[in-house]
This record gives sequence, structure tokens and C-alpha cells, in this order.
Amino acid sequence: MNDGLRRLDELPVTLLVALAYLLCALWTDPFAPDPQALERAGWLTPLAAASGEGWRLFSYAFLHGGIVHLLFNLAMFAQIAPPLERSLGSLRFALLYAVAALGGGIAACLLYDVRQPVVGGSGALFGMLGALVAMNMRSGRHLLSFLDFAGPRRLLGTIAANLVIGFLLPFVSNTAHIGGLLAGFLLTFYWLWPGRAEPRTVWRGRLATVVLLGGLSFGSLCPVWRWDWLWLQSERASGPRQEALQRAAAMAYFGVRTADAGLVARFAERELEEVPQPPQRRR
Amino acid sequence: MSAARAALRHLPFALLLLVGLCPVLLYLWHQQDPESAVRLAHGIHRLLQQTLLATGLVLLGLLLLFPPARAGLRLCFAHLHRQFTTDRGPLLQALGELRHFASPQRHFEVGRLALAAGDLPLAAQHLDAAAAQTPDVAAVHYQYGRLLLRLGQPAAARGAFATAERLDPGHAFGDALLQHGRALWLLGQESAATAVFLSHRQRHGGSAQSLYWLGQALRRTGDAAAAHDAFAAAATAPGPRTAEADWYRAWARLQLHRPRATPPRSTP
Repeated sequence: MNDGLRRLDELPVTLLVALAYLLCALWTDPFAPDPQALERAGWLTPLAAASGEGWRLFSYAFLHGGIVHLLFNLAMFAQIAPPLERSLGSLRFALLYAVAALGGGIAACLLYDVRQPVVGGSGALFGMLGALVAMNMRSGRHLLSFLDFAGPRRLLGTIAANLVIGFLLPFVSNTAHIGGLLAGFLLTFYWLWPGRAEPRTVWRGRLATVVLLGGLSFGSLCPVWRWDWLWLQSERASGPRQEALQRAAAMAYFGVRTADAGLVARFAERELEEVPQPPQRRR
Repeated sequence: MSAARAALRHLPFALLLLVGLCPVLLYLWHQQDPESAVRLAHGIHRLLQQTLLATGLVLLGLLLLFPPARAGLRLCFAHLHRQFTTDRGPLLQALGELRHFASPQRHFEVGRLALAAGDLPLAAQHLDAAAAQTPDVAAVHYQYGRLLLRLGQPAAARGAFATAERLDPGHAFGDALLQHGRALWLLGQESAATAVFLSHRQRHGGSAQSLYWLGQALRRTGDAAAAHDAFAAAATAPGPRTAEADWYRAWARLQLHRPRATPPRSTP
């Protein structure tokens, strides 16, 4: 590692992320969060991501939908992040946070309604929990030897309890939780903790992880199967290409048998207006 | 069979790659023809839904109606559990020791542990070295034969098991002899295989696995009555209720009731 990287690796990423949480909360008023302010600050909606604002796949992970949301996430972050940063190093920890946030964002983009907003750092927090599971799996004599110890078993219990709470409570996005969890786990299992794994398996896993995350990110930004993206593309095109895109949008919305572009046009006028909605929070 | 196993090992990675590449390929298609890209995406979605539903229904039906399906599922779980819980510590220690001081014994140790961990290329490298340096040790030939069988080379495996049995009759509690018969059966030499299985039964008693294989070999030689007896003995064979033994018991029961059922070529 050269000097520049070594200096970067000494950055207190945990502290910086916590500060970013607080600053973003101050910007969007944590006691009465304004949806428009949250939207300006970078909440994530599948439509916005597909309209060319790909940065929202990361920015949403620093915003919170109120003081309770912020404090809960901050408390969990303060508990998990410092030991993880010490174990992995600052650069790897920063990469883990970014990829876990990306995984949560991708899951939300691929599975949510196009105008459903998402804010919160818990997708990335779940990514850290996934990373802890992967580290435990890698550091034992075999992949499941960590189950012999009470601490790692409690970690699995924490993940399960949080997922159950997420399924029970409204306004909690378990989709993004699971996306972040999987992204954090895969990244750590194949990239950050090569340890004693077989080299060929690790390289296959690394390649598959990169292609999967890259492909799904691409799919979030260019969802060719979604009517809203096709309609936005048609507004930028002209001539036969525009007509083809409008017919494709109609097919995507009404199903492949119907291709009434006029109906989709009326729907798009109504649906794609700027109508702020309350954000879907993640604890 | 070894090709199928290798494909199965690569399947999760291939699926991940396919899922990752799908959005990119769809986008490229969309550049040519947006409507057919939407049609294709909807088709993939519908196909996935229907495949999952059909797989679930078929699995449920098999579990309810086909006894080897239950045994096979248990065997798959046991295999998966073994993969996840095979201790790699001794293998790494043996590899470390081998780096400091190479000896046939250490090559054998690394090969044996790598074979147990499922790392076949590593096992092949070291068992090959051990077999070349110590041609008179039965254990080396036995492990080498097991490796060759897993690599899908029954002719070479037959020779290794025959050597192990010649050097140490009854090696590995008779398993060298049993695997010798199995290699012969895989090579299509049913009469020789039957003789070996009968000899194994006489010398070491019968397990569900050995009796099932004996039944198969007898059926191939045309002795249906003796094959039926062997299958009946396999179906009620005493011994531990391990996943593998239950797999052979279930198939033996099936052979008793459905004489033309396709036999399993190997364990999944």
C-alpha cells in the first residue's frame, strides 16, 4: 500500500458517516422532516434513479425520516461500525458501506413502485451485519463452526429479530434491508476476507459478485422492462423510435397483448407529475 | 456423472452471472427493438414464475409419492452439511508441513484431506505423488481409487482398488473390495462385478449399499430371482440409518415393487 492509500486508510470513516447522518438530518429538519427537502437532499425513488439520478442509490443512505429514525440508526451504527472498521480497515469499511447501500438501493429500485421514496442508513447497517456473518464464517475451521459460540449466534438472532420487526411494522423497508444484507455478505465473503478459502472459488465468487452488482445497478438505472423509464425515454426521442418506445411503454404497463400508447400517455401525464409522497423509512 | 457434479458445483456462480448479465443483455436488445425487449422481459418473468411453481409442485409430488425423493433430499442436505462443516484446519496444517518437508506420507495426508474437503485437483496432485513414491501402501491406492471414481475414471479406479485389495486384503473394512466391484460395474463388466460383490458379501457381510449394487449386477447378468433376493435384503439391511444407507434402502424397495425402474448410477 502506498503512502496516499495508507493515509486514506487512516480516515475515521465511522465518525465521518455519523457526522454525515447528523448534518443531513440538520439539513432536512429531523423534528419535522419536509418531503421536498428530503427529495432535494437525495431520497431514492426508482423513477428518479432511472431518470439519470444514479447518485441517489448512495445518497439515500445518509438521510433519515425523523429524529427517532435517526437516533435508532445512529445507535446501531455506533455499536456495529467501530469494531468492523478496526477489523477491515477504513478503506474497506467505506467500500462495504457504499456497496451495502447500493445493494439496498438496487433492491428498492427493482421491487418497489416507481414513485415510492426510500431513506435511511439501515440497508447499509444490515450490510455490516451481513459482513459480520461472513467474517465469522471465514474465520472458523469450517464455514459453520461459528455456530458453536454464543456471540455469533446472537448476531444471527439480531438479524432475524430485525427482519421480523421489519415485516411487522409499516414504513419499514425490509426489501432494502435484505438487499443490503446480501450485498454486505457477498462483498465480505468473496472480496474483503479471502483468508483460507480456495483461490479458485474466491475468484469465481468475486467475478460473480462484481457482475451481479454491476448488472443489477445497470438494471436499476436502465430498467428496459418498466413503463415509466420507457416513457421518459420516448419523450427524449423522435420519429419512429419515439413511437416504438411509446408502444413498448404501453406493453410494459398493460401487458404484452395490449399496446395502446394513448392510454399510457394519459396515465403518464397523471402519474409522472411531481407529487411528493411521505418517505418509506428504514429503521 | 463427474461432469454433472462439476456442472452442479459451477451452477450457483453461473446463475449469479446470468442474473447480473440479464439487464445488460436486455438493454442491448432494447436498443434494437424496444417492444420485443419488453416482450422478452415479460416472458422471462412469466417463465421464472411458472418454473418456480412447477418445480415446487413436482418436488411436493415426488416427496409424497416417490420414496427415493425423500431419501435423496436427506442425502442432499447431508452432503451440503458435510461441505459446510468439513474442518479445513488439518488440511492447511498438512499443507504447511509439506512446504517445510516433503515426504510421501505428507503428500498422502494432504491428498486424503483434500479429497475429504472436496478439493479434487489438489487431492489428485498429492495422491498422484504419493502413489508414485509409495507403490506398496494399500491406503494410498484406496484413496487414489476413490479420487479417480469421483473424477469419472472407473478403469483407472478399478486398477487402484485391485492393487489396494491385493496389498491388504479387506482394506478399509472391505470398502476397497466393494469399490472395486463398483468400478467393474461402471465399466460394464457385470459378471466380474457380481463375483466381487458376492465375495464382499461372503467376507464382510452386507450393507444396504453393497446389497443394492449386488442386486443391480445380478439383474444385469439375467438372474432376476437372485437380484430380487438381494434387493429384499438391501431394503431391510441392518445398520445405521445414515442418509446414504437410507438412499439405497429406498431404491431397493422401489426395485422390489417396480422391477423396471431406472437405477441410480451413483449417489447425488
